[in-house]
Amino acid sequence: MTEQKSLLAVFSDLEPAADAIEQLRTLGVGDDCMNVISGVPVTEAMLGRPNQWTNVPRLALGGSLIGLLTGIFLAFLSPNMYQIQVGGQGFVPGPPSVVVIFEMTMLGMLLSTFLGVFLDSTFPNYRPMHYVPEVSDGKIAILIECVHVEEKKLTDALEKLGAESVQEAEAQHL
Amino acid sequence: MTDKHHNAEQHLREQHLMLDPLPRGQMNDMVMESMHTTSWKFWVVFGILSVIVAVGLFYSWGRLILEGVGIAGVNRPSYWGIFLVNTVFWIGISHAGTFISAILRVFKAEFRRPFTRAAELMTTFGLVQAGFSIFMHMGRVWVSYWLMPYPNQRGLWPNFHSPLSWDLLAITTYLLSSTMYLFLPLIPDMAMARDKSTGWRKTFYKILALGFRGTEGEWTHLRNAMNIFAFAIIPVMFSVHTIVSWDFAAATRPGWNSTIFGPYFVVGALHSGMGAVIMVLAVVRATMKNMKYFIRPEHFEAIGKLMLIISMTWAYFFFNDYMVQWYGGDKWTKQLLHWHEAGPLGWMWFAMLIFNVAIPWATLWNKKWRSNPWIVFVVGLLINVGMWFERYIIIPISLTINRAPFTWRMYEPGIEIPLGIGTLAFFILLYMAASRLVPLVPVWEVQEGQMAHSLKKFGRETVVTVSELE
Repeated sequence: MTEQKSLLAVFSDLEPAADAIEQLRTLGVGDDCMNVISGVPVTEAMLGRPNQWTNVPRLALGGSLIGLLTGIFLAFLSPNMYQIQVGGQGFVPGPPSVVVIFEMTMLGMLLSTFLGVFLDSTFPNYRPMHYVPEVSDGKIAILIECVHVEEKKLTDALEKLGAESVQEAEAQHL
Repeated sequence: MTDKHHNAEQHLREQHLMLDPLPRGQMNDMVMESMHTTSWKFWVVFGILSVIVAVGLFYSWGRLILEGVGIAGVNRPSYWGIFLVNTVFWIGISHAGTFISAILRVFKAEFRRPFTRAAELMTTFGLVQAGFSIFMHMGRVWVSYWLMPYPNQRGLWPNFHSPLSWDLLAITTYLLSSTMYLFLPLIPDMAMARDKSTGWRKTFYKILALGFRGTEGEWTHLRNAMNIFAFAIIPVMFSVHTIVSWDFAAATRPGWNSTIFGPYFVVGALHSGMGAVIMVLAVVRATMKNMKYFIRPEHFEAIGKLMLIISMTWAYFFFNDYMVQWYGGDKWTKQLLHWHEAGPLGWMWFAMLIFNVAIPWATLWNKKWRSNPWIVFVVGLLINVGMWFERYIIIPISLTINRAPFTWRMYEPGIEIPLGIGTLAFFILLYMAASRLVPLVPVWEVQEGQMAHSLKKFGRETVVTVSELE
């Protein structure tokens, strides 16, 4: 049985990284066993990778709904609890309510979008992680986890495709 | 012919940051170096500003709290004075960040890339000063929690019919969302700074980078969130200054009760905001190391063009508002318009028009002039002076004339002056501190833009092409 290890291959450019991903697939490494780490947003299409799942838009929608309900509560319900007659307007006048509901909806949406990034990315995360600081300098790293293919075979293939280094990934404090 | 082509290519590369890529590591080092290199002059200015802030802002505010708003110049009929002039002014300044970062991002205006953060910082720091100014105006700041809607024994509840309550909601929403919008694209740069730092800086950046590595998932979440923010924050930005304008327009006062005040205020905010951005960029470029690579004449040229368009739009709204009031023939409005132009502060009214319209139009039409950082710096400064005058005319000067002539009295500011200077100094101080701690250039966004740009030959001409990478 092959030992379960993680490998980290570093590439200087996008093209060889994309080729390497394709090659890894032919060697039996599934997409779920790979992760690309980069210093710029490289789209999945550029690397031939499946689309990443994100909950951020759904959370934004949920947040805007909560904001909307809060706005409705403030604009329509709360004035009935603290009745103030203003300038001959009803307790629940239309146009001012639009303003309140709009602001609360937007606040709910934007707050939940922000929190969505934290939730989906599990931020903040200060535990040791697989990483190479060269990524900040423009390198592209491919992290291969749950390796069931022979390590030597993978290393040779990646180096042949232009990997600057292929090393056993060790979790470290960033 | 080959030489000619090569020269054209060389010329384009020198002009455009997006066509002049450097290795990412080198760009990172340049940005880090710009943060780390601090001359003695910086500390002298920093020290002077700190003293101004301590005396002008905190000491004076302490006095205002202890002695009461009686030491301010606000009194009948000008209950609103410089505190609210500054509130409107700083909210206006804050609009530039969103305009540059969100609107230009949505429209994929590539020139925005190196200075989005510099503009976003202005938004957050400008809103801090606006918040301070409102609380100064409030006087009894220790009861400010009464503004919050929560059940209480006093039986108090915010009156949501009032534009002042909308203000609280809108400014809070804008401050929170613009701070979040500043922070999201900062995360990858904090990670870069973490990787490049040692000592206390490493700890500082490590905390703020939140453990970001740049995995596909992290980028996807970030990209999605930034797209949502870019679209959603635009109506929020418009709502903030529109609501600020309703503080005035919803009152049936001569000069204020105008249906056009909303867009007029929004355009005015953009006018002063863009002027402030260009001033900040000129100073950053001149004083910070390596910034001449990132901020080039092309950027001043592009912002200068926007400033010209915004100046024209402001003039259009101003005239629209003026025309209808002048034509209306209301006795008190006529009196007010005459007071604006021929009253003791009539010079301010004319200076407003010269600074906001005549000077921008006379200078910014010329590509060479608007590409010059110091010319546009001066234009930006004058626009800001002109826009401050505009708010001064709308608030205390207009309040002098009302339907009860026995109350007419000129507004004479008191402690508002040191407090106003204090907020200005605090804004600059915060910016200077941020320039030592925060990468002012979003390097990853610059690199992303450089990846998308290339040169292509059409016949005998070399042209710039941009690929859609998203």
